[in-house]
Amino acid sequence: MTLTDYKYGDVIHRCFRCGYCKFPINWMDVNNCPAYARFRMETYSCGGRLWLTRAWLEGEIEWSDHLADILYSCTACKNCEVKCPLSFNIDILNMMIAAKGEMVERGEVPSPVKEFLENIQRQGNPYGTSRAKRGEWMEGTGIEAYQGQEFLYYVGCVGSYDTRGQETARILGKVLQKAGVSFGVLGNDENCDGNEVKNLGEETLFEMLAEENVAQFQGLGVQKIVTLSPHSYNTMKNDYPGFNGEFEVSHYTQLLQGLIRDGGLDVSGGYNATVTYHDPCFLGRWNEEYNAPRAVLKSTPGVQLVEMARNKDGALCCGGGGGNFYIDLLGGSADSPARRRVREACETGANVLAVACPNCLTMLEDAVKAEGLEDKLAVKDIAEIVGEACGIK
Amino acid sequence: MDIIACIKRVPDTSEADFIKIDPAQRDIEKDRLAFKINNWDEYALEAAVQLKEKLGGTLTAITVGPEDWNEVLRRALAMGADNAIRIDRDVSADDAYTVAVILERVIQRLSYDLVLFGAQSEDFGSGQLGAMVAEMLGIPHATLVTVLEAEEGKVHTQRELEAGTLQSYTIELPALLTVHTGINQPRYISLRGIRSAMQKELQVMALDDPGLSPETLVPMVKLEKLELPPKGKEAELIAGAPEEAAERLAKILKDAGIF
Repeated sequence: MTLTDYKYGDVIHRCFRCGYCKFPINWMDVNNCPAYARFRMETYSCGGRLWLTRAWLEGEIEWSDHLADILYSCTACKNCEVKCPLSFNIDILNMMIAAKGEMVERGEVPSPVKEFLENIQRQGNPYGTSRAKRGEWMEGTGIEAYQGQEFLYYVGCVGSYDTRGQETARILGKVLQKAGVSFGVLGNDENCDGNEVKNLGEETLFEMLAEENVAQFQGLGVQKIVTLSPHSYNTMKNDYPGFNGEFEVSHYTQLLQGLIRDGGLDVSGGYNATVTYHDPCFLGRWNEEYNAPRAVLKSTPGVQLVEMARNKDGALCCGGGGGNFYIDLLGGSADSPARRRVREACETGANVLAVACPNCLTMLEDAVKAEGLEDKLAVKDIAEIVGEACGIK
Repeated sequence: MDIIACIKRVPDTSEADFIKIDPAQRDIEKDRLAFKINNWDEYALEAAVQLKEKLGGTLTAITVGPEDWNEVLRRALAMGADNAIRIDRDVSADDAYTVAVILERVIQRLSYDLVLFGAQSEDFGSGQLGAMVAEMLGIPHATLVTVLEAEEGKVHTQRELEAGTLQSYTIELPALLTVHTGINQPRYISLRGIRSAMQKELQVMALDDPGLSPETLVPMVKLEKLELPPKGKEAELIAGAPEEAAERLAKILKDAGIF
């Protein structure tokens, strides 16, 4: 492909690398692009990547493993898009995804990306674990299969397969049971939501997943969906309508906010902790939902909520987006975004770092261990905090 | 350079606890398994595509299997193969010799400079097929190839032996090579690529097309029984605080004479 075929060929040259894409909202430092924070080289920031992409598409530089690693280290956290002051900011992340898409079509992606996508092609999840094991997380919970209940509880790949994600998926299921919510799950019949697939540039595979999921949901008569993961929430809410999939999609924190407010969920058992909340990118910057998770925490007796210096649309990504919770191009350093983030959480004096995303949960919990902060900081999903407050063990 | 790559479809065995033997004890139960291209064959295909991209010529992918094996040929077409041939046969009860007889019959009718196989298969793993076909075709071969460079009329190869020892050969063409993993980094095949390959022609041959019949295929090896290995000793999961667990692990390693 040449620049003339590239969808953003008429605009990519307009980035003159002002560098604003690296800042958090309050200009406190230049480390709010997770890949830039990790490597501290301009090539890893959005501006640098755009210049590299342009040079590659114009034939000034050759494709290399290193170039692919640089592009795929983008976590699609949207900090650059929020912070870029120029009129084309709405497309700067899409420019990156389109460049990844070109690498996908040429077959030239980093090995872990190849593995991730092939596993999804074959087993419907990035881990390559069998589809026939997708529903194992729910054994012994009494959670029902979806058969026309009010809500489809969509769990997602991390909640279905990752051990820590499974714990959260189970607790949220129990919380919903306790609140008397009418819901069911798809178990082994659930498939990948495709959010990461899209951000990795595999557009055709994403389209297939979206079409299959929409057809399945419609076939079952699903109207309302509640998701464990903000990644699923994002794509089902914003992308699936493009595939004729119009559903009422909520992230679970939004559902819990309403249940607690309306007295449908008794959290009087409380949760005694100083808690700081980490905004997941696909709930925060991507969907501007900053309030619901905080409202749930504030309405839980005993929770003292403190904010990190970087929060809401200025939050630092955990480094797990864009498939990086699996492909891990940002790990292995004290400068990895997750490790920076848990240190920042510690600075607030909080003893609990609350998350609302299974990807963030695994990324940040690993970072707490790597930093040796286990005695000071526990990473908890809001579902677990609410679960404890309503007496679920 | 005209290249032939022979490939097969195997179960995805990353889920080892899913492997169950069927009641007749000649095959595994396949209904809950996912399938894919044999790992070594993917490297062979990539090597073939890279040679074709560099030197021109044609690439033909061949498989011997039933209809659902078309998917590995579609993959080969998406990677860059020009032609794809499937000889229609259920090979689940065949030995390597039987498949070699079939492949030799098909390959000898084609024009080729180089035939590539994966070094072995993930399912039966005999590693015999490539060498057998080379002998039947009467052409030179090298197995376990990890480096492959071609020039007019010959290929330079390296074979990987024990402890990383490398053997270098220059082999006159036509020749057959069995390719080891690590020779290259197989490209990702996008879903769009696979869908485009659905439009390409795929030639299906019956056994009698190359003049064979089930009666003429007499195996040299007969599978008597397939069984799972007996369970070994249970693994010990070390519990407790990190200090206690580390102490326990150190003791186990010390008792085993490891340090």
